[in-house]
Amino acid sequence: MSSTTKTARIGEELWKTRVDKVNAELVTLTYGTIVAQLCQDYDGDYTEVNKQLDKMGYNIGLRLIEDFLARSNVGRCANFRETADMVAKVGFKMFLNISPTVTNWTSDNNQFSLIFEENPLADFVELPDDGRSQDELWFSNILCGVLRGALEMVQMQIDAHFVSDILRGDDTTEMRVSLVRYIEDEMPPDEE
Amino acid sequence: MTAKIACIAVIGKADNPLHISLFPPYTDSTIEFNFLLNSCLDIFDIHQKQTAISQDLGLLHAVDERLAAYGWLTTTGVKFLVVVDLMGQQVPIGAEKSKGAGAAMSGLRDGNLKPAFHALQTAYIQLLQNPFYSPDDHLPLVKNAAVPTSTSQEITNKKFINEVKRIGESWAPGMVAV
Repeated sequence: MSSTTKTARIGEELWKTRVDKVNAELVTLTYGTIVAQLCQDYDGDYTEVNKQLDKMGYNIGLRLIEDFLARSNVGRCANFRETADMVAKVGFKMFLNISPTVTNWTSDNNQFSLIFEENPLADFVELPDDGRSQDELWFSNILCGVLRGALEMVQMQIDAHFVSDILRGDDTTEMRVSLVRYIEDEMPPDEE
Repeated sequence: MTAKIACIAVIGKADNPLHISLFPPYTDSTIEFNFLLNSCLDIFDIHQKQTAISQDLGLLHAVDERLAAYGWLTTTGVKFLVVVDLMGQQVPIGAEKSKGAGAAMSGLRDGNLKPAFHALQTAYIQLLQNPFYSPDDHLPLVKNAAVPTSTSQEITNKKFINEVKRIGESWAPGMVAV
């Protein structure tokens, strides 16, 4: 447990000293506009919107990881559990000032859930009242892509997807992350 | 005898109704209140022409012994109107006479409605910040537009409507915040 609190402290410290802040509403409204525009562009095809958000996130993740490593100055994680902690307590803390809870590990330590108590991307948001968005759209899906992209750059192929979202009326916002494999000695694939 | 909100209206920049809520016992008086609100909009117009008006327009129009209309104008031209029933609804009709309406009238000061307007404005801001709410959809159609679209211009967002309802039901004179 002590390593967890240590990780949390690193996150706190970074947030206080090394991070440039921007106005939260700017971020929220910008992201909201992007999603709303995508929904319009794809004519309410929410599956496609999810896919696009994930792709955008992936491209962000590929770049963000460099920044993350440079700023945080943390070393390689020994196992996937440590990675999960690092993502939740340092990564999310640094970029969004939130620390989702890591929980629901499978026995083989290859799958976990991130529970988001707060989600700055989804402030003010109400999903459109068309009877489908509540079942199809994952509003914050960009985060899945970010994780996938970032971890891929540090030799981890993962799968991330949301399984519940407060916006849809669920009790919690939960992202399921599972390790597919460690990538060894190969060039990263050039495109999705 | 406490005053009570009878009607809350949110009116767009072009005097198009965005949302109108009626409260008991006036829930069926749609037409009467539409007339009343329309006449209030004229008063807004007059105020707007004068220079240097503040957001809180205060009492616009004392309609009769019971009803009085108060207005709030944002800089973007969105108008909030609250019609107050000075008698409240619980008072039996016979009991009014002994007290006299004048007392009730003077009992309500302009500042009393400020919390209600603030709460309304907050609710409206919340609505606007939702990325899926598009203010453009609520502009009145151009007169010569081919076919009127089926989408109503009024706000349909449930959360907003419920919040307006809550404000209307819970407001009472002397409240600091609604």
